[in-house]
Amino acid sequence: METTDKAELAILSEISRISNSYIELPQKLQRIIEVIARGMEKDGASVFLVDRTGKAVTLTAAIGLNQETVGKLTFPFGEGIAGWVAEQKVPLALENPFSDPRFQYVPETGIERFKSLTAAPIMDEDRCLGVIFVLSTAPWSATSSDITLLTTTANQISGVIKGAQLFQNIKDRLAELATIYEIGMALTSTLDLEQLLSLIATNTTQALRAQGCALRLMNLSGVRAPATAAPARYVSDAVRDVDARLGEAVAEKTAREGRPVLVEDAGRDPLLVNAPGAPPISIISVPLIFHDAVTGVIALYGRQGDRPFSEDDLQFLATIASTAAVAIENAAMYERMEDLATEARTRAQELAILYDIGSAMSATLNLDRLLRIILTAATMGGTGLGFNRAMLLLTNERTNTLQGMMGVGPASWDEAGRAWGEVSRKHKSLMEWIQTGELFEHRDSELNALARSIRVPLDHGEGVLALTVLEKKAFNILDGASSPVVGKELREALRVNSFATVPLIAKDKAIGVILVDNMFTMRPITDHDVRFLTMFAHQAALAIDNAIIHSNLETMNKDMRIMHEQLVQSEKMAALGAMMAEITHEIRNPLVSIGGFARRLARKVLDEDAKKYIDIILGEVTRLEGIIHDNLSYIKDISTQLQPGDLNAVVREVIALYDDELRQRSIALVKSLSESLSPVLIDLQQIKQAVINIVTNAMEAMENGGILGIRTYPVEGGREAAVEISDTGPGVSAEAMHNLFNPYYTTKARGTGLGLPITHRIVKAHRGTIQFKNKEAGGALFTIRIPYGPGRGA
Amino acid sequence: MKKILVVDDEENIRKLYKEELEEMGYEVTAASDGALALAAMDAAKFDLVTLDMRMKGMDGIETLRRLKEKDSAVPVVISTAYEEYKHDFGSWASDAYIVKSADTAALRDAVKKILG
Repeated sequence: METTDKAELAILSEISRISNSYIELPQKLQRIIEVIARGMEKDGASVFLVDRTGKAVTLTAAIGLNQETVGKLTFPFGEGIAGWVAEQKVPLALENPFSDPRFQYVPETGIERFKSLTAAPIMDEDRCLGVIFVLSTAPWSATSSDITLLTTTANQISGVIKGAQLFQNIKDRLAELATIYEIGMALTSTLDLEQLLSLIATNTTQALRAQGCALRLMNLSGVRAPATAAPARYVSDAVRDVDARLGEAVAEKTAREGRPVLVEDAGRDPLLVNAPGAPPISIISVPLIFHDAVTGVIALYGRQGDRPFSEDDLQFLATIASTAAVAIENAAMYERMEDLATEARTRAQELAILYDIGSAMSATLNLDRLLRIILTAATMGGTGLGFNRAMLLLTNERTNTLQGMMGVGPASWDEAGRAWGEVSRKHKSLMEWIQTGELFEHRDSELNALARSIRVPLDHGEGVLALTVLEKKAFNILDGASSPVVGKELREALRVNSFATVPLIAKDKAIGVILVDNMFTMRPITDHDVRFLTMFAHQAALAIDNAIIHSNLETMNKDMRIMHEQLVQSEKMAALGAMMAEITHEIRNPLVSIGGFARRLARKVLDEDAKKYIDIILGEVTRLEGIIHDNLSYIKDISTQLQPGDLNAVVREVIALYDDELRQRSIALVKSLSESLSPVLIDLQQIKQAVINIVTNAMEAMENGGILGIRTYPVEGGREAAVEISDTGPGVSAEAMHNLFNPYYTTKARGTGLGLPITHRIVKAHRGTIQFKNKEAGGALFTIRIPYGPGRGA
Repeated sequence: MKKILVVDDEENIRKLYKEELEEMGYEVTAASDGALALAAMDAAKFDLVTLDMRMKGMDGIETLRRLKEKDSAVPVVISTAYEEYKHDFGSWASDAYIVKSADTAALRDAVKKILG
């Protein structure tokens, strides 16, 4: 008995020593059972511990048994000796366990070597923590002191286990804190949202030994919509399939309730009954909360190892989530700021381009030039919009059609490469390009011809071009072949399948369309491109509208000027009419007397010489009466009495009239009258007047003498007869040239200004022409051409 | 011998017409304005009157109207420097309308045609 007590004491003190050592629990238990087996002089011992489920015991340490079963051999409560003792919480000594109905034989454990056993529960208050066995190869009937010793030992072990658990808890807690700290550090290390989400997912997955993570965020625009369908932002590859099946439902519940959700077994959870074939994994899902609003959901799937996620894990994840929510919000805000900054930069750049183009456009009011500027801007990279080709169509209100005006773009890859290469090399502004010449061969280009051939009726509202105008909206045609608004004809004409159209809208009215494509680079036209093009088109439309208005104004202004001139003219004519009436009265009466008495004289005088002079008087009186008549006729119509006449004779008569005056003025006459000039249909009086008017003008132009040239000749081809009269005076000034045939314009101090206008009218009445030019050697030269009858040209 | 009254405010025209018409065998009296012409009509009966249109005082149209009041049967030949009186309905009461010319043939033809 004493030895027994001593042995007991030795055992217990040894166990105390072991329990205070710094080794892990399984090693402690191993050492303890070694001490017990040795102390009780038996060959085997083992410890089963209640596992996490609390409903089974697992072999944790053993001697004399197959070591490979350690950690694997498990008995549920009530099954096998271990299960029975754990459930009943009473010691049990069996001299022959194999015949006991509670015994369960498990092969390859090595239990068959033993003959007898004694077991005791390891109790913590009234809770069973495990079972300790002592095994004997020799038949052994355990005494009460054996059982007491084992129970005492079990109590010792209970203390060891609790200590170890406590220690483990502290260790876990510290590890958790360390993880949280590390994650916190990691989360503040980046402002890149994608990187941050990846960090959160990786860290939580590792810290909680999960198989994978899914992170969902509410929209990032700042609107906190109810969490119905949070977009997935991060799902690790390992759990992609699981998340696809379960993620939505779990996240939706988490976000809606704003509380953590624990799913122990996805295969059996009522939340996921609608998810067919959900795998038996556990899930923890925690809302990301920032300023009382759910900004997202983080979920972990499938804890590694045997047990599911616990409330502790959920708590841990919630702790991380609160840090993560702040970090994500910061990153999201940063991202928004960056987006805004990028957008502002793009906008600024676009505005700069638009400004550049705008100033180029405002530099001209010429429509053709303006259209070229617009299309050059649309097709120019760098400082332009950078499309490959562009066409412009304008609406025609009168015909209600859309009409192609111009197309600009390279005809081939070669030209494209050359032109765009030049643009990027030379760094010229749009303005400079337009001023120094065109980017592409423009005028005769195939594209320009194509553009100008386009006519689209606007009555039916069919096709993308008409719709662009009628609906005043842009079209970005990605696949023309499948688009219901793109006809085959248009696609074949353009030779592209993708293009975009934008309306030209000025003062709420669609005045045309710009069509662009990227035929050569094949770069897809983005919605952003279309938006920018629309802004550009708006500006272009205003410029075009201005140019059209300006052109209309110019035409109107010109018309008004002409009307004004005509008005002035007719006023002058009216004044002339009144004046002419007076002159007629004042001159006709004395002429009647002069001429009447001259005739009477002629009848009475017999002297031949006197008769000749009287005839001259009568001739001149007749001419003066003719002039009066013609002057009146100028106001009314000139009625010509055409009869075959000799132009040379007319010229000779005129020369005879002015023979004396030419001599007095020291003007030499050079005449050359063609012999081959056949008679021409003329009104002799009028043609004579016409020639006289030019001759008198010529004489007056040569104040200090000169040479008067008169020439007649048949015009080549024989259809006209010409009279040419030239002088050596100062010629006619540019200003006077324009007014040469306008009535009342005169450069002479005395003169009615009717001379040349009457001549002009007379020649026109003969369906002839009158030409004037200043001779190179100085002086004026008039040429009158009279056609040979109505058959000229035949 | 048939009697003709020449009414014209131009002295030389009166003289020319008088000589030309006397040469044709008529007896010619001349008046230098409308009032004198009407007075001459009161003093004697004429077979024909040549009448100028634009005159100082009473113009030709007015003279023609009054003259016809006195003797609606007397033939009147309007002789004027103006062509447009032709369209004045006041001149329709005349028997001929000639535009004055140095060549008095038109006048002589018109007179001969009326008086035979």
